[in-house]
Amino acid sequence: MNSLEQDECMELTDQDYVKRSRDGYPDDFRMLVQRYQRALFAYLLSRLGNSLQAEEAAQESFVRAFLSLKKLRKPESFYAWLLGIAGRVLKEQFRSQARRQLERAVAETLRMDEPANEPEYPLEEAIAVLPESYRQVIMLRYYEGLSCQEVATRLEMPLGTVTKMLSRAYALLRQELKARESAELTVNHTHQHELR
Amino acid sequence: MNCADCQDNLVACMEGLLDAEQSEQCQAHLESCLACRTEYAGITRLQKRLIARGRAAAEVSMTETVMRRVRQMQTPERNTIMSRLLKHRWGFGLGATATAAAAVVLMMVLTPANVRAKAADVMARGAQAVAKLTSIHFRGRVRTAPQDNFSYIDANSAFYPIELWKQFEPDLEWRAEKPLRVAVMDGKSTLMLIKSANLAMKFPKPSPSAFDTEWLHKLANLSNTITNELKRALAKGWKMNVTEHHGADGRAKSVVTIEAKSGVPENDYLKNMFMMNADTRRVYRFDAQSELLESVQIYLTAMAGETLIFDLQQIEYNHPIDPAVFQLQLPPDVNCYQNEMQKLPDNEKYAAMTAEQAARAYFDAFSRQDWTEAEKFRRSTVDEHTRKIVGGLDVISVGVAFTSQGYPGRLVPYEIKLRNGEVTKHNIALKKDTKTGRWFVDGGGF
Repeated sequence: MNSLEQDECMELTDQDYVKRSRDGYPDDFRMLVQRYQRALFAYLLSRLGNSLQAEEAAQESFVRAFLSLKKLRKPESFYAWLLGIAGRVLKEQFRSQARRQLERAVAETLRMDEPANEPEYPLEEAIAVLPESYRQVIMLRYYEGLSCQEVATRLEMPLGTVTKMLSRAYALLRQELKARESAELTVNHTHQHELR
Repeated sequence: MNCADCQDNLVACMEGLLDAEQSEQCQAHLESCLACRTEYAGITRLQKRLIARGRAAAEVSMTETVMRRVRQMQTPERNTIMSRLLKHRWGFGLGATATAAAAVVLMMVLTPANVRAKAADVMARGAQAVAKLTSIHFRGRVRTAPQDNFSYIDANSAFYPIELWKQFEPDLEWRAEKPLRVAVMDGKSTLMLIKSANLAMKFPKPSPSAFDTEWLHKLANLSNTITNELKRALAKGWKMNVTEHHGADGRAKSVVTIEAKSGVPENDYLKNMFMMNADTRRVYRFDAQSELLESVQIYLTAMAGETLIFDLQQIEYNHPIDPAVFQLQLPPDVNCYQNEMQKLPDNEKYAAMTAEQAARAYFDAFSRQDWTEAEKFRRSTVDEHTRKIVGGLDVISVGVAFTSQGYPGRLVPYEIKLRNGEVTKHNIALKKDTKTGRWFVDGGGF
């Protein structure tokens, strides 16, 4: 019965790790990388459509986040802030690599990757606005690939609490995605009017 | 079941966590209620998207690369004793440990339990003493089966040596070893050899604590020992104590004792079988002058009494480790464990099996010496040695599956008679493979 990989110290919050990384304990930043590397990679992959570029962009985003950590006003919002940095890294990548051509290729890739009728809005941005406890359960279940029972063990909570938290997290995510997708549709619609 | 009940149980139902009766009720309600069915479909769509995203990122591992880049960008610290101890605490979360410990100390001082405050203080100083840890090597002895998991304990067994080498800089590398099992992480991949089974398992990325070695790493890092132990001792009311005495070397020593409870129920099958689900009393001895941790003893505190199960007396801090330690040569004929199972043409038949049916089919395949069939329930081939033992066995019984707290699979009791006449009665551990949906043998059965 082998557990192939278990992260360490998952109990502490993002806020704890951010504070400690800033307060002279930089190695604690490792825990934040472990916690968000897969979600950040998935987000960047959805935008870039190339895993090598996505990994490079993710590394760059983490390094920049570390160097700017003192500017982070709300340590509990580390992940949302990290996505903002990743967005800026993306923009630079687009600019530096024959922008128009790449964007067209990316749009094509995204169209091929996305299932029909699925909204394109990146899930990770919606996950970023979840309260931390719900976000942690989603991260462990889907980005770490743990079963509900394993999540319960890791977080030292009853299995029933995990399923209830997942249920609530799904509801919040669907609500958030719906709101953002409606906003996106409105923007697109307006944009089409302007083009005419 | 009404709509409210159904929606309360929807996630548990989707995850297969309801018992048969509840699951049937939930399914029946879904068939008859459009609103709940719509909700179910909405969650399923979201889950599919989440699963796809998770899978796309499953192999990503950039922690060490990022941390290396981050280290390179740090301004070199001033090389004073205080800066070494207090300012720049590279070394796997030891800094976090010290900060957390300091906070805990403060909280404890405010409580009447001054003994616990003193214990926390000793541990916090112990963490600070190794704040600039570049490597650690320790060798102890543990009551275990020499070929079994790294965290497996058996109070009735003899002691066997167990050893960990861990290098933190320039790159993280480690090796854990007990007599018939060795695991190595060389900075690029993680590899384990089970010598008794001639079986190798390879994980194609660097892992901080794979193959059930987590408890050894926690000990090596000290961060878990202090951050988690102090936090939990406070939160869960574990007993803590500290005593001071003189050691055989004539120096003053501080001994911290923590009585930890796993929270696993007494009647749980896996209770006290692994380090993480055992109730233990842990004794940490620190040198009062250097403040370094010198020894650790872990006692199993079962109903029947207390037994020393782990004894660590030899700890080396910051000694250079020969790079050859982090290399592992596999025997040429080694059998390789596959991390990924492949879908079969008739996969659905196997995916639909209950754990009991899978256990029965597995042993029946051994009985018929149908190795191809048996391997459908394994992540490794059946080697010649195992074939000789299990080929032609008789299945006496296969019981009803049960679960254990913290184990994400099922345990199925069985009794078999081997060809040599030996009767074996045990529980086989089966886990569901997420990609194929098939049960695979995870322990307890050849």
